[in-house]
Amino acid sequence: MPVPTATPSDPSDRFERDTIDILKRISRRPIDPKLESELLADLGFDSLQVLELVGELEDHFAIAVPLNDLTHIKTLAQVVAEVRSLVSAQEHQS
Amino acid sequence: MTVAGTVAQALIRAARSDRGIRAIEHDGRPLSLSYAALLDDALQIAGALVSRGLKPGDRVALVIPEISGFIRAFFGISAAGLVPVPLCPPAQAGDVATFAKQSQHILDASHARAVVTSSAVAPLLDLTGLDRLTVLALDASSDATPLAEPIRRSMDDVALLQFTSGSTAAPKGVVLTHANLYANVAGIVGPHGLGARTTDIGVSWLPLYHDMGLIGMLLAAMYARLDTIIMSPVLFLKRPSSWLETISRYKATVSFAPNFAYELCVRRVKPSQIEGFDLASWRLAGCGAEPIRADTLRAFASHFAAAGFDRSSFVPSYGLAEHALAVCFAQRLVIDTVDADRLVRQSIAVPSVNGSRRVVRLVACGRPFPHHELRIVDEDGRSLPDRHVGAIVCRGPSVMQGYFENPSATAEALRGGWLATGDLGYLADGQLFVCGRTKDLIIRQGRKYHPPDLEAAIAELPGLRTSGIVVFAIDHLDEADEVVAVLEARASAASHDIEDQVRRRVRETAGLELDRVVVTPPGSIPRTTSGKVRRSETRERFRMGTLSE
Repeated sequence: MPVPTATPSDPSDRFERDTIDILKRISRRPIDPKLESELLADLGFDSLQVLELVGELEDHFAIAVPLNDLTHIKTLAQVVAEVRSLVSAQEHQS
Repeated sequence: MTVAGTVAQALIRAARSDRGIRAIEHDGRPLSLSYAALLDDALQIAGALVSRGLKPGDRVALVIPEISGFIRAFFGISAAGLVPVPLCPPAQAGDVATFAKQSQHILDASHARAVVTSSAVAPLLDLTGLDRLTVLALDASSDATPLAEPIRRSMDDVALLQFTSGSTAAPKGVVLTHANLYANVAGIVGPHGLGARTTDIGVSWLPLYHDMGLIGMLLAAMYARLDTIIMSPVLFLKRPSSWLETISRYKATVSFAPNFAYELCVRRVKPSQIEGFDLASWRLAGCGAEPIRADTLRAFASHFAAAGFDRSSFVPSYGLAEHALAVCFAQRLVIDTVDADRLVRQSIAVPSVNGSRRVVRLVACGRPFPHHELRIVDEDGRSLPDRHVGAIVCRGPSVMQGYFENPSATAEALRGGWLATGDLGYLADGQLFVCGRTKDLIIRQGRKYHPPDLEAAIAELPGLRTSGIVVFAIDHLDEADEVVAVLEARASAASHDIEDQVRRRVRETAGLELDRVVVTPPGSIPRTTSGKVRRSETRERFRMGTLSE
């Protein structure tokens, strides 16, 4: 279960910041991801790394990304939006 | 352990056992499918297909991301006497556009009359120009009457149409009969293959839409009536530790994967996770589908020794879709250390003596199965002596019937009953060592790429002013291949970000990362008299550094 930590002033930042940290860790070369960056085209990720990213995000945010959502995600902004919506759905349930 | 029969006959026999398959989906959700329940489901699905007017021998495409759904649909299509044509599901194909294009190519080339899919995937298919295609969503309720028994097929009827690459506009479909599948499965589980025991438990995360996962694990386990756990490839790729965790939890004894998977585990499974695993039960750790690196096996064995992994469990293997799947399995790990210079220059594998400057370590892949033959031949088809590198050719009951409706490609691959594998190798003490390719095929992480497809993708780049494009891989023998794109362009026409654009294009259309993009002046790419680029000569000139001279 995700534990809300000391309430950040803008909670959306947490998703963006943590996702960028994970992206940088997975990338095989130095990258400077922007919200509009595309994972494959701009950041040089291959399909294996995209799934590695999904695995890391699932563990980090305690979420499960539905298989069909993967095919629609291209940019960092879309990744962050997906994480945000899954975490909030999760919090509503609990 | 196996009895000859069609896929449906084997399922009937397996259904009399108390064994079955445990499917683990991408979110980790397990589902038990006994062979008995699978037979019932298959007859139900077959009823639905037959009621839609499909006739024995018709091709039926199959695109289902869920493991349990794929298996049920595959057996359902087989029970209806139809020919399954597996397709790569959207999440593995990359984006929706790539998926739609790839599937359309294969639906078109296979003349599929129906596609079995799920209601989530169906809307993503592009069925333009495929009006006569019936779409059946497996999860939609069906009121069709189940068949009382499978539609009877003979061993010489087509059992599977396996497309080797979907990225090309002219994909090649490997035609396999029930006799082909049975011959290969019997070889795999038999004493010259894995020597499977009734107590064996398999674990696989290999995609079911590929030969290795489909024939090597699903069909081999079903024919041999063994308990098998089949995980989603997505689950493995998200968390490589899930593979080892599953082997550990179920005390599995058999599991296969390409070289890159072993590498991924070394890189991504943390020491803290290893402590929780018990891999001592894993007696057959198969490795195949792409070049096997001795260094990878060594690194994996030492990384996971603490979890009880035994280095002697490795089963290096060799195979290809045109041979149903497997050609040979090594009975133990044998590494041949040979002189690299003599291998490259003279095509002879001479064991290195102490002091050799450069050596290559090659992994033995074993001997062919009974009733199957393998030879190493020169360009004129004459057998070569031991330790001489030549083309690997195979003959026997596992060899495909040909490429679907493609006589010219078939004639090129099948010559006088012998299958030209396109791979290079040598024999030593009866063991096969694979050391390169005669074809221009590029293999990365078990996936195959055809240079003409990549070249065509680059050529479509808007604004690219080039007079020629050649893509090739340089085989580094004991490390990963280097993939190079050479573009002919005038210096003035070559914008500064041309390299980035080309990389980006190949990444987006094929999911492949180019290692080098080289821009050379017009006229540097060697051509035939008819103006076709000479790929291997370009590669040689690039290696020698004489491309732009």
